[in-house]
Amino acid sequence: MEFVFFLIRRLAWSLVVLAGLSVLIFLIARVVPGDPARLAMGPRASDVQVAQLRAEMGLDRPLPEQYARYIGGLLHGDLGRSLLSRRSVNDDIRETFAATFELVLATITLAVLIGIPLGVAAATWKDATVDNAVRLVAILGAVTPSFFLALLLQILAGYELHMLPTTGRMAPSISFVPDITGLMTLDALLHLRFDVFADALRHLLLPSLALAAATTGQIARITRSSMIDVARQDFIDAARAFGIPARVRIWKYMLRPSFVPPLTILGLEFASLIGNAFVVELVFAWPGMASYGVRTILQKDLNAVMGVVMVSGVFFVLVNLAIDVLVGFVDPRIRITGAR
Amino acid sequence: MRISVARLLAGAALTAMPAAAMAKTVVTLNTVQIIGTIDPAKISDYTDYMASVNLYDGLVGVDPQGRLVPQLAASWDVSADARTVTFHLRPDAHFQDGSRVTAEDVAFSVERLLKINQGPANLFAGVLAPGSVTAPDPATVTFRLSKTFSPFLATVPAIRVLNAKLVSANAGSDDGQTWLGTHTAGAGAYRLESWDRGSRMTIVADPSYYRGWAPGAIQEVRFLITNDEATVRSLAASGELTMTSQFQSPDTYAALAKMPRMKVVAGDTATAFYLKLNSRTAPTDDLHIRRALACATDYDTIRQQILPGGALDGPLPRTFAAAYWSGAPAGKFDPDCARREIAASRYAGQKPIPLTLAYVSGTKFEEEIALLMQANLEPLGFKVTLQAEPWNRLTELATKVETTPAVAEVFFGPTYPSPDSMFFTQYDSKAAGTWASMEWVQDPAIDRMIEDARGTGDTAEQNKLYVALQQALFDRQSDVYLLTQRVQHAMDKCLDGYAPVPMQSFDYYFYNYRWTCPAK
Amino acid sequence: MAAPAQRLSAARQNWHRFSRNPTAVVGAAIVLLVVLAAVFAPLLAPYPGHVGAVVDFRARHHPPSFSHPFGTDNIGRDIFSRVLFGYRVSLSLAAVVLGIAVPFGTVLGLAAGYFGGWSETVIMRATDIALAIPPLVMALAVTAVLSPNLLNAMLAITALWWTWHTRLVYSITRTLRHREYVEAARLIGASRAHILFREILPNCVSAISVKVTLDCGFVILLGASLSFLGLGVQPPTPDLGTMVATGADFLPDDWWEPVMPGLAILFVTLGFNLLGDGLRDLFDVEDVR
Repeated sequence: MEFVFFLIRRLAWSLVVLAGLSVLIFLIARVVPGDPARLAMGPRASDVQVAQLRAEMGLDRPLPEQYARYIGGLLHGDLGRSLLSRRSVNDDIRETFAATFELVLATITLAVLIGIPLGVAAATWKDATVDNAVRLVAILGAVTPSFFLALLLQILAGYELHMLPTTGRMAPSISFVPDITGLMTLDALLHLRFDVFADALRHLLLPSLALAAATTGQIARITRSSMIDVARQDFIDAARAFGIPARVRIWKYMLRPSFVPPLTILGLEFASLIGNAFVVELVFAWPGMASYGVRTILQKDLNAVMGVVMVSGVFFVLVNLAIDVLVGFVDPRIRITGAR
Repeated sequence: MRISVARLLAGAALTAMPAAAMAKTVVTLNTVQIIGTIDPAKISDYTDYMASVNLYDGLVGVDPQGRLVPQLAASWDVSADARTVTFHLRPDAHFQDGSRVTAEDVAFSVERLLKINQGPANLFAGVLAPGSVTAPDPATVTFRLSKTFSPFLATVPAIRVLNAKLVSANAGSDDGQTWLGTHTAGAGAYRLESWDRGSRMTIVADPSYYRGWAPGAIQEVRFLITNDEATVRSLAASGELTMTSQFQSPDTYAALAKMPRMKVVAGDTATAFYLKLNSRTAPTDDLHIRRALACATDYDTIRQQILPGGALDGPLPRTFAAAYWSGAPAGKFDPDCARREIAASRYAGQKPIPLTLAYVSGTKFEEEIALLMQANLEPLGFKVTLQAEPWNRLTELATKVETTPAVAEVFFGPTYPSPDSMFFTQYDSKAAGTWASMEWVQDPAIDRMIEDARGTGDTAEQNKLYVALQQALFDRQSDVYLLTQRVQHAMDKCLDGYAPVPMQSFDYYFYNYRWTCPAK
Repeated sequence: MAAPAQRLSAARQNWHRFSRNPTAVVGAAIVLLVVLAAVFAPLLAPYPGHVGAVVDFRARHHPPSFSHPFGTDNIGRDIFSRVLFGYRVSLSLAAVVLGIAVPFGTVLGLAAGYFGGWSETVIMRATDIALAIPPLVMALAVTAVLSPNLLNAMLAITALWWTWHTRLVYSITRTLRHREYVEAARLIGASRAHILFREILPNCVSAISVKVTLDCGFVILLGASLSFLGLGVQPPTPDLGTMVATGADFLPDDWWEPVMPGLAILFVTLGFNLLGDGLRDLFDVEDVR
């Protein structure tokens, strides 16, 4: 019951954040100097064509009415028409989101698979060479610009060693449409196309590695410090006194409670992860929402920009909601102290 | 190498495509921007047209000399007063769904184009009105022009013919705009196979195409969207790319030329590259300053080192041979001449003279040219502000005199194969306020000559007017005439058939390309 | 407040601890080096002219050599000279963003933490909303609307950055507001301003300075990412992110063109991070990130 209350409170709060976000985004997009309709129609359009489009998009109405229309659309899940692609932003984002989602999933998987063992190792051999090495890796991960890391990976793994493809989601010679979930790897498996799966995985590796560096470092660092914290507590000594083997002590009594801070960090890191995705997708010509975002932002395609920022925000809020619920589940104390 | 030709195909001249199961001739090329739309009533960018010319047929096509060639129409005739044009359709022309192409379909396509009023519609503003196109019988279609407009025929290839029945069945509430955004309904040589907007489009040959297929024809075309030079190089190196876009950097062409599999095909186009000089803003409102800029331009470095291109001595490229004025002296880098002109201007003695030079951000060679100009102009007493703007922002700045930069690097190529396209769009007062007319010439004498050329059916008279126009514009130093674009494509040695065409993207009509290597 | 003599010995003690912390020392050395390089760039750069209106198309794409330690770029300019001047842009970016965001965020954090209630709700909910937008995305959106240059990008970053400092100061203030000395000050009738800025703020300084040091690195990183995406400063002014983006087109042959400026960015962000990390140990403010 208490968990349900926690859930409701957390959910209500997410809605407030989203409402605030929508106002903010709308205001940013509508103080534009210049005429989005003229931009959209392209350079060869006549004045009549431009005026027609302006009316069609409601750009000639007063601001509050435009906002009402925008919110009305949002509630129906309609982000408006892209000025640039001349079709619904929903379609554009739906087509590109899966690629970004796949990249982000792969990134988080890598970050957790590498970060947590590193953190455990550092905590286990505290103040030893391993610890210092992990610390250095964590710092380097955090401070290396992700576009630079992406370029370095391209140079080394792509050009020098010719090991891995450096662009796109799959080889141009393969024709395969991910038509079930939109995730290339998963759909390939569902279609039993193992060649496509292998190719998709190869294409995923470098971009997700470039994107994972910063998060991996943070996770390793937080895992280390939270494990050390937990290890100081009485019940670990008690466990030791009871003669419970070290392996069990580490995994059951230390790792599970120490799992909470890295999970929380993952939520916070998520914003910068999405941000970095814009850069990494560009370098690897990854056909995702972030590279769509960069393209539309540079072209002043306002509905599309609002859509991309809004979807990024919703994505962030949802992931954090999910993480909070998960944390509340793993560690019941959080539920009582309430939402962050 | 994935591209290979079926043995069968190499042997005999076939009129139908071999079964799909056999090896295919595939061309994979990169485009530097996404394909925005495939709806024939909305196409505007080079990538839009690139898809459209392959997916749809028009009444007529265009050849490299800018002449019209038959497509759906076998022949056409023009009335004595040049205001009625009649096209006779091929009796065997059919859409991809097998139904016959009739005159009604043509009329439907034009009506829809005018109604939606986007994309190519502006070519016909004031020339065609609803009801202008009639179908006396299924094989004959008649255009009644609202006024005499001699370049009309040259604009006809922009009309892509739609399957009226199919579109009507899927019209929805928006004249089929939603449906045609993702489906095709044409008689083109290629069908849409798959399209991922952000990254690629694949089109495949329609085996039943009414004009038949020759040996070595290209059976599948894949457009890959990337403007990243490193990507293009690595795809070419791994054999995944058959042909590059025309917008790669000189370094990329050089690198690709070294690959044994690739060749670089260059051709001079009718697309001119200008420094457009705003004649209504300081300091370029002074003719002497405009001439000084022309003298301070290092043509050789630009044409040889930065952006290989052909000579351009006046406003019109040489492609339009019959209308070309050969009297303009070749541009020459001469700082002394620049100094003399500055001294003769009303800005003489004012130091420094502020000057804004705009170019498209992210375009390397444009930035290099901007930096070169800056380096040459500052010792002469200019203070050059470089303004790198995204293309859309530049087109927005161009809508007003006050926001149009004094100098802007701009490419302009004909949108239809007629000198009229070059003169009207760039220099006529009626076309003012676009990126193509950043000179703000607005000169009644120029306007009159353009109008006169449009109103006459007499070609010799027309050409005389075009020569006079070039002379008048050159005397006003409307622009700094940098070069004509030499398009380069790095492509597989086995691929043949590329030739520049003076109409947007009609040189990417892959029906005309051939795969020349023997079957593997 | 401590007597001068005591303060001096405390400083000496701090210095002693600082000098024995290798992370902090290395970080400080790097930061000092970069600041000096930026300040004395006109004296140190072998080709100071290559920062302005100079082109040399015959010297394009020269690999690193004795005369051009970092090689030359596509215009034939010395990359090393441009990197030195590029640091000026990076450092001023960090100075402007943090110079505005930190005082602003601190004041709001103090107010939210001390007064609680209505002001707490409004301020902290605003930070929640701001946190939901990745700074890079925000900067891109704002600059797209205004005009794409680094100045506007800085404004956008600033508009989000204060939230981090607000949250930091807020959490410290909340733990302090019921401490005896604060209650005592309130009882003797000290003004709110006095309590906020003289009693509570000094206790936040060490945490803020750690965060500011770390932030310098992250703001520079973000600025570089933005200019990499095409929102740079006006050419020919050198800017590290733009140099990497431009140079990336000449991979893999002319690798030095993106790699050298990229390493330069890495160097300065590493410096600030090591220093911040060291200071964190020194001030024992474990939870500041």
